[in-house]
Amino acid sequence: MRWNAATAGPWLGTAARLVLGGVFVVAGALKVPDPGAAVRAVRAYRLLPESLVAPVAFGLPVIEIAVGLALLLGVFVRTASIAAAVLLVVFLVGVGSAWARGLRIDCGCFGNGGEVTAGETAYPLEVLRDAALVVVALLLARWPASRLALGGRSVAGTTDRKEYSRAR
Amino acid sequence: MPAETTRAANRERLAARRAAEAAARAQAERRRRTVLGGVVAAVAVLVALVAVIVVQTHRTSTSANAAVPANTVDGTVISVGSADAPVTVDLYEDFQCPNCKAFEDASGRTVAQLVADGTVQAHYHGMAFLDTSANGRYSTRALNAAAVVVATAGPGAFQAFHDLLFANQPVEGGSGLTDAQLVQYATQAGAAGSSVEHDIRNLTYGDWVKTATDQASKDGVTATPTVFVDGHKLADLSSAGLTSAVTAAAAG
Repeated sequence: MRWNAATAGPWLGTAARLVLGGVFVVAGALKVPDPGAAVRAVRAYRLLPESLVAPVAFGLPVIEIAVGLALLLGVFVRTASIAAAVLLVVFLVGVGSAWARGLRIDCGCFGNGGEVTAGETAYPLEVLRDAALVVVALLLARWPASRLALGGRSVAGTTDRKEYSRAR
Repeated sequence: MPAETTRAANRERLAARRAAEAAARAQAERRRRTVLGGVVAAVAVLVALVAVIVVQTHRTSTSANAAVPANTVDGTVISVGSADAPVTVDLYEDFQCPNCKAFEDASGRTVAQLVADGTVQAHYHGMAFLDTSANGRYSTRALNAAAVVVATAGPGAFQAFHDLLFANQPVEGGSGLTDAQLVQYATQAGAAGSSVEHDIRNLTYGDWVKTATDQASKDGVTATPTVFVDGHKLADLSSAGLTSAVTAAAAG
C-alpha cells in the first residue's frame, strides 16, 4: 500500500477519534468517583441556578463518556464528533466567561471541585486545549471515515475498499 | 442468430436489474440497522443518565441526623474571640493547602493578636478538597479532627489545634499526618479522652466536613486561603495587609 493522501486520511481519522474519544472518556470517568467535587466544580462557574447545578454535575460525565466511547469504537462518528464539538464550545464559553469575570477557579475539566490551591489559574492552557479539540472534532465531523472503526461510512477510493467495508 | 442475441441481452438486463434491487435492499437494510442502532444507543445513554443522576444524588445527600459538632455557629463556622469585637474576619482554609500554611506562618500571629485585643472575631470555615488516596484523605481527616476538638474542648482548643496542624503541615503529595498524630495534637491542644480518639479515627463528623466544604462553595470560595474582612475579600494576605484592612474596618 502506497502512503498517500488517500491512504493516510482514514488513519488520521482514526488518530483523531482516539485522541478526542480518549480525552472525553478520561474527563468523564474522573468526575464520577467524587460527585460532591463535581457539584462544586459546576457551581464554581456561577452560571447555573443552584437547582440545575447537581443534575448537570452528575449528568455531564455520562454524556462525555458516551460520546467518548462512540468515538473510540468508531460508531456514529459524525454524530459523536458534532456532539463533542458542541460540548467543547460550551466548555470554552464557560471557561472564557470565568476568565473574563476574573474568577479564580480550576476548570474542573478532569475532576476535582474547581478549587485552585496555589491561587494560580490556568485559563490560557485550558482555552488552548479546548480550542484545539474543537478543531479536531470539526475535522472529524467533516471527514468521519476512518480505519479500525466498528461502524460508519466506508472509505471511498481506496484499493482495499471491499475488505475495509467488510471490516467496518 | 438474432433470437439467441436477444435472449442473451434480456438475461443480462434481468441480471442487472436483480443486482440493483439487491443493492437497494441491502442499503435499506443497512439504513434500518443504523437507525435502530441509533435509537438503542440513545435510549441506553438516557437510561444511564437517569440512573447516574439518581445514584450520585443519593451519594451526595448527607443524612438528616448527621453529627454537627458542638460550639459551632451556623452549622459550619467555628468562631473564635469575643462576639463584641467590632470586626469579623472570615477565613477559608484547607489543612493540606500549602498557601494556607504560608498565610498562617505570615499572618496567623496577627490574627491571634487582633482576637486577643478584642478587635476581631475570627470565623474559621473549614474546607476539605485536597483528599487523595496517597494522603489517606488527610484534608477530611484533619477537618474532622478539628471538629472533634471544638466539640470537646471549645474554640480556644480549636485555635491551638488549628495552629499546631498548620505548623506541622505534611507536604502536599505526601502521606498526611496519621490518625495517631492527630489524636496527639488534639490532646496537646486540650481535647483529651477516649471519645476524642474514637471520633477522630471513625470520622464522626465526616458528613459535617462534606457539608462545610459544600457551604464554602456556596459562599463562592474556590481558592484557599480566602479571607474576608467584614465581608470584603482581602487581596493582600500579608500581616500588614490584614492589619490595615482590619484597622480600616474598625474605623469605618
